[in-house]
This record gives sequence, C-alpha cells and structure tokens, in this order.
Amino acid sequence: MADRLWFLIPELIVLVGAVVCAIGGLSNGAAIRRRIGFIACGFLLAACIAVPFVYTPERIATADTLLPYLGKYIKFFAALIGILLVMSAGGLMDRKYEHAIKKGKATFSALRTSSGEFHALLLLSIAGVMLICEARDLIWLFLALELVSLPTYVMVAMSRWSKVAQEAAMKYFFLGAVSAALMLYGFALLYAATGTFVFTEMADVFEAQRAAGGVSVFGQIGLLLAIFGLCYKIAAAPMHLYAPDVYQGASAAVTAFLAFIPKTAGMLAIILLCSLVGWEDGLPPVLEMALWVVAVLTMLLGNIGALLQTSTQRMLGYSSIAHSGYMLIGVIAGPPLGIVAVLVYLVIYGATNTSAFASLACLSKDGAPVDSLEDISGLHKRSPLAATSLAVSCGSLLGIPPLFGFWGKLMLFAAGIAAGQLVLVLVAAVASAISAWYYLRLIGLSLLSSTTPQSESVKATLRWPLIAAVISAIIAIGGPLVLSSIVTEAQQAVLAPEE
Amino acid sequence: MLSLLSSLTAMPAVPTSEVLHPANLSWAGFILWMPLVSLVLCGLCAACKVKSKAPATITVICLGTSFLLTLVLWNGYTQPETILLFDWLQIHWDGGSFVANFALYVDSLTLLWMLFVTGLGTLIAVYASEYMEHDVGKGYTRFFAGVSVFLFAMTCLVMGDNLLMLYLGWEGVGFASYWLIGYFYQKPSAVAAAKKAFIVNRIGDVGLALAIYLIWSTFGTVQYDEITTVLQSEAYDASFGGWTVHAIPYLLMLAAFGKSAQLPLYVWLPDAMEGPTPVSALIHAATMVTAGVYLIIRTYPLFMLDDYALPTVAWVGGLTALLAATIAMAQYDIKRIMAYSTISQLGYMFLGLGVVTSYGAAYHVFTHAFFKAVLFLTCGAIMHGFAGQLDLRRLSGLRKMKGWKIVSYTMLVGCLCLAGFPFTSGYFSKDAILAEAFVTQGPGFEVLGWLAIFTAGLTAYYTFRVWFRVCAGPVHFEPGDELHGEDTSSFHPHAPRFAINFVLIVIALGALLAALPYFVPNETENLHGGWVAEMVHDSPARDGVPGVIVDGGQAEAHGTINYEIGHGDILGIDPHKAMYYISAIVGFIGIGFALFFHLYCRSAADKLRGKLLASRATRWLPTAMEHKWYVDEIYIATIRSPLWILGKIFSLFDRYFIDGALVNGIAGLPRVLARWFAPLHNGAIQSYAISMIGGAVLITLLMLFMPEIVEFLQSLSEQNASTEQVVATLGGGK
Repeated sequence: MADRLWFLIPELIVLVGAVVCAIGGLSNGAAIRRRIGFIACGFLLAACIAVPFVYTPERIATADTLLPYLGKYIKFFAALIGILLVMSAGGLMDRKYEHAIKKGKATFSALRTSSGEFHALLLLSIAGVMLICEARDLIWLFLALELVSLPTYVMVAMSRWSKVAQEAAMKYFFLGAVSAALMLYGFALLYAATGTFVFTEMADVFEAQRAAGGVSVFGQIGLLLAIFGLCYKIAAAPMHLYAPDVYQGASAAVTAFLAFIPKTAGMLAIILLCSLVGWEDGLPPVLEMALWVVAVLTMLLGNIGALLQTSTQRMLGYSSIAHSGYMLIGVIAGPPLGIVAVLVYLVIYGATNTSAFASLACLSKDGAPVDSLEDISGLHKRSPLAATSLAVSCGSLLGIPPLFGFWGKLMLFAAGIAAGQLVLVLVAAVASAISAWYYLRLIGLSLLSSTTPQSESVKATLRWPLIAAVISAIIAIGGPLVLSSIVTEAQQAVLAPEE
Repeated sequence: MLSLLSSLTAMPAVPTSEVLHPANLSWAGFILWMPLVSLVLCGLCAACKVKSKAPATITVICLGTSFLLTLVLWNGYTQPETILLFDWLQIHWDGGSFVANFALYVDSLTLLWMLFVTGLGTLIAVYASEYMEHDVGKGYTRFFAGVSVFLFAMTCLVMGDNLLMLYLGWEGVGFASYWLIGYFYQKPSAVAAAKKAFIVNRIGDVGLALAIYLIWSTFGTVQYDEITTVLQSEAYDASFGGWTVHAIPYLLMLAAFGKSAQLPLYVWLPDAMEGPTPVSALIHAATMVTAGVYLIIRTYPLFMLDDYALPTVAWVGGLTALLAATIAMAQYDIKRIMAYSTISQLGYMFLGLGVVTSYGAAYHVFTHAFFKAVLFLTCGAIMHGFAGQLDLRRLSGLRKMKGWKIVSYTMLVGCLCLAGFPFTSGYFSKDAILAEAFVTQGPGFEVLGWLAIFTAGLTAYYTFRVWFRVCAGPVHFEPGDELHGEDTSSFHPHAPRFAINFVLIVIALGALLAALPYFVPNETENLHGGWVAEMVHDSPARDGVPGVIVDGGQAEAHGTINYEIGHGDILGIDPHKAMYYISAIVGFIGIGFALFFHLYCRSAADKLRGKLLASRATRWLPTAMEHKWYVDEIYIATIRSPLWILGKIFSLFDRYFIDGALVNGIAGLPRVLARWFAPLHNGAIQSYAISMIGGAVLITLLMLFMPEIVEFLQSLSEQNASTEQVVATLGGGK
C-alpha cells in the first residue's frame, strides 16, 4: 500500500496546490490573491519535477497496475501543459473586481471572489487525470474520471458572467451525468461478466474467455457501453453533441482546458479498458467495429460540422471532436505503435490546441471576449504575435509538414496502416483534407485579410494568455526537434510490467 | 525526424561514423562553414540595416579563411580522405539502405577545384567591395549574402562525398546564380535573365536527379568511393546493371550541359551577364559553370560504361566551342563577347573530357578560371568607369588614358592567355586538349581536332578584336546610359581605385603563373603535364575504372601503362609536339587579322561587313552571326510557344473543368452535408440526450447482431445467386 501512495506523490503535490489556491484566493492580501496563478503554476512545476524522482525503475518494478510506466509520461506532460493552461487562464477571473478594489471602488468580499476556487478546481481536474494512470480497478477509474469532470462543470459556469456560460454549464453537467450513467452501467456489466473490479484479474478472466471462444456477451456490452460513456469525455460521436455548445459558451481559456484535460482522461480510460481484453489477435470484433464506426463518424462529423461555423470557438470545438477521431485510429491499431502514437498525439494536440485557444483568450473587443470569425480578420495588423500563434497552431492542427501536428498525424496514420486499417486511414486523410478548409480560413483571416470595421477594436489585451499562446506556438514549431525523445518516453510508457 | 522514422519502423540504424576513417581533419569543415557564417552575419547586417561596407569586410574575411584552410589542407594532403561532419540521411531497411552523410571527400581533384574556387572567390569579393559601392546600404548586403550562399553551395558541390551533397550544392549554386543575376530586380531584362537561367538549368537538374536515382538503384549507394568499389568488384561484368548503366552517363551529361552552358542548353549564359560583373566573373566564368566539368570528371568511371558517352561529350563540346566562337566574333557588347567566349572555352573543356584527357580539361578549367576572371573584371572596371558603356565601337585607346593603364594591360594578359599566345597558361592547357583530340582514336575525333584548331584561330581573332578596339588606337569614348546626374558632355570616366586595381594585378599574375604548373616535375612516372596532372591523377578521373576495360581502345588509350597503344598522330608527327607549333601559328593568324581589321585599318572591317551584306549570297553570314544564329528565336518557336499554347489550353481545362466542375463540386459536398447536419445541433438538451443515448444503443445493437445481419445479407445474395442460376439453367435449357 505504501508503494501505491509513493506513486501518488505528484497527485498529492497538485492536491496540496489546490488547497493552497482555494485558501489563498480568500486571503485579504491582494498581493496573494493576484498571484494565485503563479502559485498554481508553481505546484504544477513541482509535480513535473517530482515525476522522474517518483518513477524510478526500482519503484516501478513493484507497481501492480496494468501499464506501470504510463503515469510517468502522462503526469509529466499533464502538469507541463497544465502550466500553459493556467497561463492562458491568466486575467480571466476577478480581473475587473480586483481592479475596482485597487481603485477603491469596491471592497474585498470573500463571497464575490472566485479566482482561488477556479484555480483549485483546475488543479483538482489535473490531479484526476494523473490518478487515472494509477487506476487498478474500475472503482478507482470511475472516481478519477469524475474528479476530472466535476470541476470542469463548475469551471464552465464560472468562466463568464453570462447566460451563455450558465446554459453551457447546465448542458455539460446534465449530459455528463447521462454519459456517466451509461459508463457506470457498462462497468456494472463488466463486473457481471468477470466477477471482479480489479483490472489484472479482469484481464485474466477475459483471456480465459477468449481462449474458450470469445468474450462473453455481458463483457462485450459492458465494454461497449463503458466506452460510449467515455466517448463523452473525448467528445466522440455519438456523444459529441454537447461539445460545440459548451466550447462556445465557455470562455476560451476554459475551452482550451476542456479540449485537453477531459479528453486525455477519456483516452487513457479507453486505452485501459481496451487493454483489459488486449490487442493480441486483434480486439474482439464487436469492439473493434464499434470503435471503427465511432472513429469514422467522429472524424467526418467533426470536420464537416466545423465548415460553416461563424464562431471561432465553435469551429475549434468541432475541430477538437475531429481530433478525437484521429486518435481513435491509434487505439484501434493497438500497441505498441498505435498507443505510442496516441500518447504522443495527446501531447502534441494539447500544446497546439492550447496555443489556438490561448491566442483567442488574449483578445478582447472593447473589454468583451472575442468570438465571431470576423473579429479576427486582419489580426496581424493589431496583434502580430497573437495572429501568428493562431496561424501556427492552426497549421499544426491541420498537419502542415514541418510543424508538430504533422508528425503526430504521421505517426497515427502510419500506425493505422501498419495495423492494416487502410480504409480508416483513407477516411482520416479525407477528413484531414476537409479540415484544411476551415483551418486555412482561420490562417488566412488572421494573417492575410484586412481589418474590417467589426474587427477594428479587437486587441490583444491579456498578457499571460498571449505569452502562453506564443510559447505553445514555439512548441508547435520547435517540437519536432524533441519529438524523438517524446516518442522514446511514450514507447516506455506502454511497456507491460515485467513478470 | 529521421530517428523518428527509424524508431517507427524499429530498424536498427548502423552508424557509419564507426566505419569511416577516424580523421582528425574535422577542422576542414570550416572551409564549408565559413561562407555560411558569412551569410548569417550578412543577414544580421541586413536586419540591423547596416549602411557601411561591413558586409564586404565580413565576406572577404570569411572567404579568405576558407581559402587559407584549403591551402593548409592541400599542403598536408597525402591520400584521399573522408571527413564526416555529421550524419545526414541514414535510412536502412531490409536488404537496402540509403546513406548520404554530410561528409567531405578530400582528394586532389577536390583540392584543385577548391583552391581556385575559394581563392578567386576571396579576390572577387575584394573587387566587389569597390565595384558595388554605389549600392552601399541598399543592395550591398544582399549582394554579399548572395556571394556567401554561392560559395557555400559551391563548396558543398565540390567537397561532398556523395552525389546527394553534390545535388544540394548543384541546386544551391543554381539558386545563388538566380539570386545574383536578378540582383537589379527593378530591371525587367535582369529578372527575365534570372528566370531564364533558372529554368534552363532546371532541365539539366532533372537529368542529375534521375541520374542520382539510377546510380543509387544500380549501385546501391550514392557515395563516390563506394561506387568505385562496386565497379571494381569482381561481381561486376559487362552485363551489369542492364540499361541503367547506359542511361546514367547521358543523364549526367544533360546535367553537365545545363550547368556548364553547352549545346543545346547554353542560351542562359549570355543573358546571365545582366548580373553585376563580379558575379559574371566569379559564377558565370570561373567557378559555377565548371561544375559540369567537375561532375563528369568525378563520375568518369560511369562514362566509361557506355561506348558512345564520351564521344558524345566530345562532339557537343567541340561544336559548342565553334558555334559560340562564331557568335562572339560578331557581337559588339564586350561583356557578351566574354560570355560567348566562356561558352566556347567550356566547349573545349568538354572536348577534352570527351577525348579522354581529364587532365587537359581540368588544367583548362584551372587556367581559364584565372584569365577569364581577369577579362570579366576588366570589363567590369570599364563598365563601372564609363557609366555602363560596353560597346566596343564607342570605346577606344584606353591604355593611353590616365588611370586606365592597369586595366588595359591586365586585360592584355587575359587576352593573350585566352588567345593561346605561346608560353601563356592558356597556350599549354588548350594544347593539351587539342593534341589529345588527335591522339585518341574515336568517331571523327580527327575532324573534331581540326575544328578545334580552327576555333582556336577564331578565338584569337575575337579576343584581340576586343583589345585592339577598346584599349589600343586613338583615345575616344562615349559614356553609357547609367549616368548618375551627369550629362554626356561633361562626363569624366572615373578610373578604378585601389581595390579593383589590386585584384586585377593579382589575378593577372595568377593567370600568367598558371602556366608554371605545366613545368612542375611529376612524382608519378610516365605522367606528363606537371602539377595539375598530378592532382588529377589520384582521382577517379585519370584512368576510369582500373581493371575493367569496357571500351578498350579509349579507356586504355591514355592510361599511363599502355600509353603507346592506339596513339594517333597529326600529319605524321606526334600531336603533343606538333600542337605547340600549330596552335601558335593559328593564334598568330587570328591576332594578325584582328590587328589589321581593328587597329590599323578599322574602316576595312566595316567595309568587309558592308560587302558581305551587299551580296545576296553571303548576306546570311554576318546577319546570322550577329543574331546568334537565331538559336533563341528557334527555341521560342519550337519549344516555348508550343508549351505556352499547351499551358493556355491546360489552364482553361483546369479553370472550367477541374476547378469548376470537379473541385468546386467536391468541395461543395461537405458544405451541403454541413447544412444537412446543422439541425442536429438545435441546442435543446433533451434532443442531445436522446441522440447520444440513441446513437450509443444503435451502434451497440448493430455490433452485437452483426453476425446475424451478415448472415441475413449473405442469404439474400445466395438467394439472388440461386435465382440467377435457375434463370441461367432455364435459359440454357431453351
């Protein structure tokens, strides 16, 4: 037991950070309140640094999870991209309120402030992702997944003082509850099929069943339902319907968060569930076909849906749906290539997607957030940095060759072809081609178009989101240089425990 | 990124660095890197908007360092060496590999080339520091950045240890050439010339790319030493490689003819004179255009594999030399005359390669680099001083003018060498080629030899036509059209100052001293030709493929061992001795004609021209020569216009069918779909929930009952099949 606690050190650091943020946010000292973001970043950084010390080979040898190395990879990158996400949320909460206090127009009241809570929730959600890696049984997995999701519902509601955000939060919460119910039903059926909650034992039972002629019907339905429930987390069809509304309703920084953290959680959970039955001799045909259908639908619906949008956030929301579809190719392809590709793609996608949303988050139009496509027209004249990072991240998401996203897609497609899923990869390529339509439109609008009357007053006003956008754009350009070491780490992450 | 590929395919990559000789010569990499450093610093100067001559200083220092390093490398040279700079492309798979490292292959051939490339590069950069001063602040940095790019690419081309690095350099020099020809980008003619040079060169580049591919697929490698190893290996026999070994030399030839301006791809070089004169001297006379010669020398063994490859080279070279010389005789623009003379001299080099005297070709490259550079630089000085005047009818008697003596006499040195005046460097190098044309037995080589001797006479004539017109005779000048605020009447030519004069003297001395290597004794026995021969001797160029005689007569004719076999003669005398006298006499005749027509009796030249034009029978000759034999016009009529019309047709097809019907049609489809799917997102939470659960249930049911569904479908098709069968049997029954 002590060993399991040892692996939780990064989570504990982040949890302590959440508590500190929550308390610090209520502090009377304005200096502390305004630096909550730095505190959150500091704890995430500490978690990052702790990871290599926690995951020493001797310790890993004693671990009893299905994929003992997974945590090292995921926790490190979740914390690292978490820092970028905190940065892109800089200036989001309580900015006007703090300003008023400074001017003496308002007095500080603990009830009105929300910055501390926001950062605490953000850290909690990241801690949830980290906990998934340590999941040993379904209960733990479910709790970790809920720890990821529940804070995000609140964050969506808090992110804007507008009805849109409240509506988005309501939709997100209720539909999330429906999907959780579906997932739980699936878990229950899995228990019925195997008689245990513990992953290692379940894997043994499934292996025995497969040896005897195939996974039992209960097991198959349970896996399917659980994966459909998880599709909500990764915004994959048919559970993707909430995504455009919610992504549009929340503020850009929170959308960046939604598009990365719950998606990572869902992907990891899907990989864990699939690894219960194993990819040897292929996934069970029912599961594989279902994933296939989901992947194709997700890629096509996501990219086609994005075409006619007039809101940037909604457009990027659809695009993030499509990216889940690409990642499912890797899941279908299976280890080692496919899973490595998914893990690498998660990191690449996380960095570049954060860049896209952060460059929207830093913009404002007369103090109000920017949403319509027309608002970013001719952005390069007023904020060349934001425009360039938006263009670079869109290029990377589209997969233009030297950029980071290209290598991610290349690995996914290569894994798909290596696994014999040629049709799937062809569909993905067509979907990618369709996505060029709207990504290039974003690039063109921000870099080439001229200013319109509507976009005249759009400026980059928030400092930290801009910095986050630029940093992640640099990652999108320079990332390929360190790609091989990321791939090496990911290859290690999918190693099975030595027996 | 490549490590990514290798990790993806999970193939172990064997580091070749272990296989290579562990040389301590890695400092030689700086010969390559210094121009790049210069480029970066010039870029910084451009970014900081430097308004001084700093870029010139930087470039001269960097290139000078390169030259010194080359000297040191040459001084310590003992045997061919491969210097690995870094692993570049290493792709391995089952039963094959593609390895191209960023490595330098240093043998004496490389050193010979590098010595004059870096040396002349440095000197010409010094020259340009004064020549380009009117552009300080504006284009000055751009110019020197271009020169740095060129030197880097040329170094890659010459020093690379594999064909891919050569290709990199090949494209790089093409790009630098485009950059610098189009230096005056506001001038439409300069832009057109830059484009022409680039496009014509692309035709040759296709040949090179295909040749590299074929070499790789035939020999399994693109590294020179490994190709030689394969050729020498015992597994090799005459049937080796099939058609590819016969295609390779012709493709390489195409590349060489493009870069070195030979028939039929020479047309870009005269137009390339639109660039600043230092560029013409460095790139379009001394160094870049000799890349084709280098390529053929480097891949000489491959040319031995086909019986007709080298004779083709010889004939193309000989005919180009003659054609360009006739055009040069009738031009009035002195820079253009020099351009045609360059083409003509390059033709000699290819003739030399074709008649299997790589030594003669290399030596001619070496001497030509010096004397042609000095000729171009003097032309540049004149152009600079007389406001762009280059017409030899409007300039006269320069040597009597104050401040123009150095220009006049260095030009004389260049002219003497080019005309092959006895005991100048050009005399020895040209003789080596001319004599070899008679020595080597080949299809029509004797005719070719006489043609080349005739061309030598023409060369002497047009060269001294320039000198007698411009530098000798009564003083007279008209300024060109690049007057900067002066008017024609008050124009004073401004004579070159220190930098230009210094460089002219140094290069002219170099041109004279280039004759010395001919007399340097050889360490290798039975080898005539002095130092250059010694340098070429170690390289693959000398003997072709040792041990393999594909084209017995030719390959071995000039081999050091069987020197006497197949040794031809000229008028019954040994060509090597006879040629000393023949070419001297021919040269004197040419100079004599020039002396008469262009110094003593200038009106006679015009009278002769008038007579030729007056007679119907001879009118075509001067007209055609002045119009460069209408080659450009022929190309436009036969190639450019048909392509242009075809392009228009394709463009219409593209716009109305591909774009209009296909692309917009397909592109419209997703949008239609998007509209179709839009109602799904009506924002109502209930409908979302129903769609989600409904979708999940639908897919689950579909998946679970798939076996049944598949069975049902199969039974349907079986039913169909059986019905068909029944129908078929019924039909058959009838």
